[in-house]
Amino acid sequence: MADVSGRYLDALRDVYDPCCREKGISVVDMGLVRSVLVQDGHARVELLLTSGWCPFAARVLNDVHDRIAALPEVADAQVDVVWDEAWTTDRLSPSAARKLNFLPAPALISDRDAYVMAHTKEADGDR
Amino acid sequence: MIGDAFVFDGVAHLFNFDAKNPLGRPGEMFSQHIYAFHQALTPAGETVLPPEEFLRQWTVEDIRRMVYDESDTDMLCAMPLPLTDLYKDGLSPWEECAELASRDPDRTVFWGSVNPLEGRKALDLMERQVGEFGAKAFKFYNVRYDYGSPFPWRMDDPRVAFPVFEKAQQLGVNLIGVHKGVPLGPQPIEHTQTWDMDGAAANFPDINFVIFHVGLPFLDEVCWQLIRHPNLYASLAATINFVVRAPRMFAETLGKLLFWCGEDKIVYGSETPIWHPQWALKAFWEFEIPQDIIDGYGYPQLTEQAKRKILGENLLRLHGMDVEETKQRLGRAQSH
Repeated sequence: MADVSGRYLDALRDVYDPCCREKGISVVDMGLVRSVLVQDGHARVELLLTSGWCPFAARVLNDVHDRIAALPEVADAQVDVVWDEAWTTDRLSPSAARKLNFLPAPALISDRDAYVMAHTKEADGDR
Repeated sequence: MIGDAFVFDGVAHLFNFDAKNPLGRPGEMFSQHIYAFHQALTPAGETVLPPEEFLRQWTVEDIRRMVYDESDTDMLCAMPLPLTDLYKDGLSPWEECAELASRDPDRTVFWGSVNPLEGRKALDLMERQVGEFGAKAFKFYNVRYDYGSPFPWRMDDPRVAFPVFEKAQQLGVNLIGVHKGVPLGPQPIEHTQTWDMDGAAANFPDINFVIFHVGLPFLDEVCWQLIRHPNLYASLAATINFVVRAPRMFAETLGKLLFWCGEDKIVYGSETPIWHPQWALKAFWEFEIPQDIIDGYGYPQLTEQAKRKILGENLLRLHGMDVEETKQRLGRAQSH
């Protein structure tokens, strides 16, 4: 059955894209896992990439595959990158969103220039 | 021209993928990565070359045919690869790029390239590339493999980077590109990130820096940098090739760049011969950001004015060329 919230996700909570490892943000917190379907011992995982240029796609695919394949009820596992949906910051977990300085969707701010001014000052103040 | 847009292609390489060229396994991996990009992003209906036809030495005539005979491109930057630690000849030797530019002196612009870690030797070569071969800009690569292991340098390093920037300015060159993001071969990711661009841009406000590949996957970081530094620009080279295979992802990237950085800060590049230039050019000219992305996120539409700027006008300005005069002189009617 499909499961994106239960034990299959738990199995992936310490799998990291190397870009996010030092920030402690797993592939689950990044929202890279779209679905996990396990049926008759066969597991299929769908992953979204934050960028088509993700240089570690192959490594993440391998790590996810190995972790899911290690579950006792899984005989074989398949991991696919899906392209019919774009990863967006909406997929970040609350903790990941706090750690990353992503730009908000324009629709969520009333004034681009005011936002830039406020956050540029904030960034300069941090330095 | 495509439609009424003058097309100035920011990058083609004269790759030498001959099997004897790599110096070792990292070079072989680099070649395989580039071939994988060709395979993965060339859309259905276009020619995907088998390895034996792609992994070969590309010639000046190949590039001229693809860019000028088989696409609606009006001008081109011939760009070397100085990866002399991965390949015997650096993979795209600067001498051959200068030769490519010399074949169409009005249309093809030679960009020089050196390894700043070579100190005085690099500075001397910059003089030669500008003085004897007419280099109008330089392109740099931050990860080297000297002595068999990754040997990175930063764009904000006063000892390594600043001398080459100062030399460029002495030579009258104020345009510098840098490969960012997209690690190829076994490159350490941290040195293809863009954190060093603030220091480069702030210390050299009279040099315009182009961050190639939009620094992907570090898009938000690049946006913040382009917002804050007027002399930073982003090249869609290679990124534009997602336009057919992953149009929604491309729309997200472009929408974010257009909203936060503006249409004046984005330039085009084809990466010929990794991909044939015409299909992405045509798809980009016809591309619209899907309405639900505009409605949902508030990104602006990719207008024809923005397309004209991205495809050519911005890069003409960065080369100090008059847009209208050059369009009149070199613009060719669309024929593909």
